[in-house]
Amino acid sequence: MIIELKKFGNILISRQLGKEALAAINYQLPKENTEKIIIDFSEITTFSPSWGDEFLSPLQQKYQNNLLLRNTSNPSVKATIEILEETNQIKFQVE
Amino acid sequence: MLSNDKLIKINEVAKILNVSIQTLRRWDESGQLKSIRINPNGYRYYNLSDIQLIAKDIFYLAKEWASQSIAVEPDNNFFCIDSPTFQIKLNHLEKDLQTITKLKKDFSLISSIVGEIGNNSFDHNIGSWPDIRGIFFAYDLNKGQIVLADRGQGILTTLQRVIPNLINDKDALLIAFTEKISGRAPENRGNGLKYVKKVLMDIKKEIPLKLYFQSGNSFLIMNDKTKNLKIEQTKTYVRGCLALINF
Repeated sequence: MIIELKKFGNILISRQLGKEALAAINYQLPKENTEKIIIDFSEITTFSPSWGDEFLSPLQQKYQNNLLLRNTSNPSVKATIEILEETNQIKFQVE
Repeated sequence: MLSNDKLIKINEVAKILNVSIQTLRRWDESGQLKSIRINPNGYRYYNLSDIQLIAKDIFYLAKEWASQSIAVEPDNNFFCIDSPTFQIKLNHLEKDLQTITKLKKDFSLISSIVGEIGNNSFDHNIGSWPDIRGIFFAYDLNKGQIVLADRGQGILTTLQRVIPNLINDKDALLIAFTEKISGRAPENRGNGLKYVKKVLMDIKKEIPLKLYFQSGNSFLIMNDKTKNLKIEQTKTYVRGCLALINF
């Protein structure tokens, strides 16, 4: 499945909204860790670790290598992925 | 509005407006900027709020608001009472930053660190604001300045929830920027200021950014040339947090 983050907005910064975004898509997520989940960052203009930690970190924890990040060229997206990897001791799969 | 009946001397005015004392004396005589004389032949004084309006020095306004003992809401133009209001104002900032040619590549890094600092204020003070709920948030793109401030509990009090033996602002500030520790443990928090440091010091950018950050009586200044964080002390006490980003 593909999750287009732009559907949550172009500026994704607050922890609270990151948590709400994850809760909103929870029903669509596969119960088993068997299919690829692609997170598409296209049209995201500003991204921050607060939002990312609430949304991406739990998905990474659950789906690990089946989680794939796409269109991550925005500098704030790149920097956020790096800091989440450093502080949470995880490694995201980036397309 | 800020309540400032405070009078300041001519040398302080010169610093704020970045003009010479001679210029101020000339302006006084010509009526362009009249001083207040307590004694006819005594010192020239000026009303601080008048000078601030002339200077439109948003950092000075924020520092004054965050450090003054009397709690008053700042001017509506600079005030975000809650997180949604801050988000709206940040959207405007991001759009404005995108119009600046030299920030074409780096605007998102600036708006994301502003987002982290502003949201930190709301996240760490929710339900615990000591007096004014909300933050001061203003920017002056001509001067390349973005200012955020709060009258919240500050870094030391926030971190003491998880490190009770922490006793001073200096150590608290260093920990906040360098160690992964959350003031809301066991929740998984604590990336925000580390991210700000990473963007300022480590990420390659087209234009250099500079940050002044103060909490309590301690502050730090960092940019892309900073190798080791140096925390210094100041006489002006800010209970919450005060941040100035220059680009």
